[in-house]
Amino acid sequence: MNRFKEIGGRVIPGILLLSLLLLSPVQPLSANEWESVLNSSRGTRVTFYGWGGDPRVNSWLDTFVALRLKERYGLSLERVGMDIGEILNKLLSEKTAGKSDGVIDVVWINGENFFAARQNGLLFGPFTGSLPNFRDFVDAEAGDVAFDFGFPTEGFEAPYGKAQLVFFRDAARLERPIGGHADLLKAAKLHPGEITYPAPPDFTGSAFVRTIICDIVGREKIASLPADKDVLRVAVAPAMEFLSEIKPYLWMNGESYPASGSQIKNMFEDGEILLGMSYTPFLAPGKVKTGEFPESTESFVFEKGTLGNTHFLAIPFNASNKNGAMVLINALLDPEAQASKYDPAVWGDLPVLDPARLPPERNALFESIVVGKGSIPLRTLLEKRVPELPATFIPILDEIWRETVLR
Amino acid sequence: MNRDSLRAFLLLAPALLTLGVLFLGSLVPALLQSFGYFPAAGLGEPTLRFYREIIAGPEFVPSLLFSLRVSFVSSALAVFLGTILALLLDETGKGERIEALLSSIPIIVPHTVAALLVLNLLSRTGILARVLFSLGWIASPAEMTALVFDRRGTGIIAAYLWKGTPFVAVVVYVVLRNIDGRLRETALILGASRMQALRHVALPLLMPTLSSTFVLLFGFSFGAFEAPFLLGPTFPRALPTAAYSAYLNPDIASRPYSMALIAIITAIAVALVYLYSFLSARKEERI
Repeated sequence: MNRFKEIGGRVIPGILLLSLLLLSPVQPLSANEWESVLNSSRGTRVTFYGWGGDPRVNSWLDTFVALRLKERYGLSLERVGMDIGEILNKLLSEKTAGKSDGVIDVVWINGENFFAARQNGLLFGPFTGSLPNFRDFVDAEAGDVAFDFGFPTEGFEAPYGKAQLVFFRDAARLERPIGGHADLLKAAKLHPGEITYPAPPDFTGSAFVRTIICDIVGREKIASLPADKDVLRVAVAPAMEFLSEIKPYLWMNGESYPASGSQIKNMFEDGEILLGMSYTPFLAPGKVKTGEFPESTESFVFEKGTLGNTHFLAIPFNASNKNGAMVLINALLDPEAQASKYDPAVWGDLPVLDPARLPPERNALFESIVVGKGSIPLRTLLEKRVPELPATFIPILDEIWRETVLR
Repeated sequence: MNRDSLRAFLLLAPALLTLGVLFLGSLVPALLQSFGYFPAAGLGEPTLRFYREIIAGPEFVPSLLFSLRVSFVSSALAVFLGTILALLLDETGKGERIEALLSSIPIIVPHTVAALLVLNLLSRTGILARVLFSLGWIASPAEMTALVFDRRGTGIIAAYLWKGTPFVAVVVYVVLRNIDGRLRETALILGASRMQALRHVALPLLMPTLSSTFVLLFGFSFGAFEAPFLLGPTFPRALPTAAYSAYLNPDIASRPYSMALIAIITAIAVALVYLYSFLSARKEERI
C-alpha cells in the first residue's frame, strides 16, 4: 500500500505537468522564465550524446565546456560518444516503448539524421528562441541556420559549428596542387596506391563523393531534382564514372576503402597516404602544430569549392533534463565558447555567431586567433563553400556509390 | 514427470526463463520487422518484399559466400592448429602450466581487441610491414601485400585464429588427458607406430570433440560483427556487418532490411547446428 502511494505520488504530478506542457503552445521563454530554467537546472546532470571520434573535440567538451558549465551554472556534464545512427535507433526504440524519461538530453546532429529525427517525432521544440545567446548573437534567418541540408530547422536545433570539407596533402611528396577532380586523377596515376577516400556512408566519405558530384556535374543541376534513386542515378552518372576511373589507382587498387575519416587521419599520419580530407577545416594546421602531421602539410579546397554545412544541437522528445539541455546549448553558443572552439589548437571548428551582432570586444576574440601555417584563409573558405545537397539525397547517393563504384 | 526430472526442471527454470525472455524478446520483434510489421515507421502490411529485395540485391550472394568462407577457413584452421598444439602439449608432458597460460591470454581478450592487435600487426604500416621495411624487403607501405581490408578476409581469419586456436587446444588437451592411456599403450604394445596410434586410437576418440568445437567456432564467427567490421573489405561485407549498416541507415523505414538479414543469418546458423546434430546422431547409430 505504501509503495502504491509512493508511485502515485511520483506519477500523478508528473502526468499533470506533462499535460500542462502539452496544452501550452511552445513559446519562447521570457527573461524571467530563463532565470527559472537556470535555477531549476542547478545541481543537476546533463548528458551530451554525439560523435566521439575526435579526441580533441572530446577533450574540449570534457575540460573547457564541463568546467564552465560547472562553475557558471552548477551543471555537471556527462559526455557519451555514440554514432548518430545508434542514437536515433535508441530514441526510436524508446519512443516505441513509450519511455518518457530518456537518458539523452542533448544530441549532436544534422542533415539526413535531423530529417529522420523530425520525420519520426524524436525531437523536442521549438526551443532555440528561448536561448538568450541564440536570440542575441545568431542570425536565425541565415540560410545555414534556418535550413539544414535544405530542410527547415524550425527552432528544433541550434547551430553548434560550421564545417567544410577541406583536403590536405603532403606537399613534399604530392607536389602539384590539386584544383579539382581532373588533377586528383593525375595525382592518383602519379602515386598509385597512395590516395584514397573513406567509404560512404561515413560522413567524410559521403561528403567527398558529393563534392566530386558537384565538381563534375554541378550542384545546380542536381539540387532541385526529386529524391528518386533512378533519377539521381542518371544525373550523377558522370561523377560515378569518374570515381570508377580513378579506382584502380587508389589505395588497395580501390578494392577496399578506409571505413572512416579517423582512419584517413591515421593513415596520413603514418605516411601511408599522401592526401587526406576532413570536415574540420583547420584540422591540418592543428595537427602540424602537435607534430602528428608533417611540416609540409598544406590544406586546400577545389577551385569550384567543397561542400560545407552546419552541425547542430537538438533535444530529444523524452530528454529527462530539458532545462539542463537548454542551459548547455546556450553555453555552447556563448562567444567565448565559440571562439575557444575556433582555435585550431583546440578544435578548429568554424563559429556560428553573426559578427554583425557581436560587440567589438567579442569580435576581437575571434580575430585574435591565429589560424596557423598551411591553412586556408577564412575568406577563401567562405567563397568556396558549396551548400549541401538535400538531406533526402544522402542515403540514396551513398547506395548509388556502393552499387556502381564499389562493385 | 518423475520427481527427479521435475527437480531438474525447477533448478533450470531461472536460467531457461532468462534465456527465453532475452532470446525470444529480441528475436520475435526482429522477425516481425523483417516481415514488414513495423508500426513505428508506418509499416504494417506483412510482406516478403524485404527478403526478396535483399536476396536479389547485388551484394547478398558475395556477402554470404564471404561470410561462409571466412568462417569455414578460420574454424577449420583453428581446429587443425589447436589439435596439433594440444597433441604437442600432451606429448611434452608440460601441458598444465602452458595450458593455464594459453587459456588466460587469447581466450579472455575480447574479439575487438584481437582485431585491433591484428590491425597493428598486419596493416600496411603495421609491425610486420615495419620489420620488412627495415630488412629492405619493401620500400614503402604501398608495396606491402594487403593483409587487412582485403577481399580474401586474411585479417579476419588471423584474428579468429588467434582467438580460436588456444580455445581448441585447451578443449582438446582436456579430452586427451581423459582418454584412457591404456588404449594407446595397448596399440603401441601391439606394434602400432606413434602415428598409427594417433590416427587409429586418439583421433577417433577426439572426433566428436573436434567436430563440436568446429561447429561452435563456425557458428560464432558466422554471426560475429566486430572482426569483419574492423578488418573486413568495403565489399563484400560479411552478413552481420551488412546488417549493422542497414540498421544505421538514417531512413528508419529501411530497418526491415537489417532485420531480414539478421533472420537469414540466424536461419543459416540454426540450419548448420541442426545438420551437425543430424550427422553426429547418424554416426552414433552406425557405431
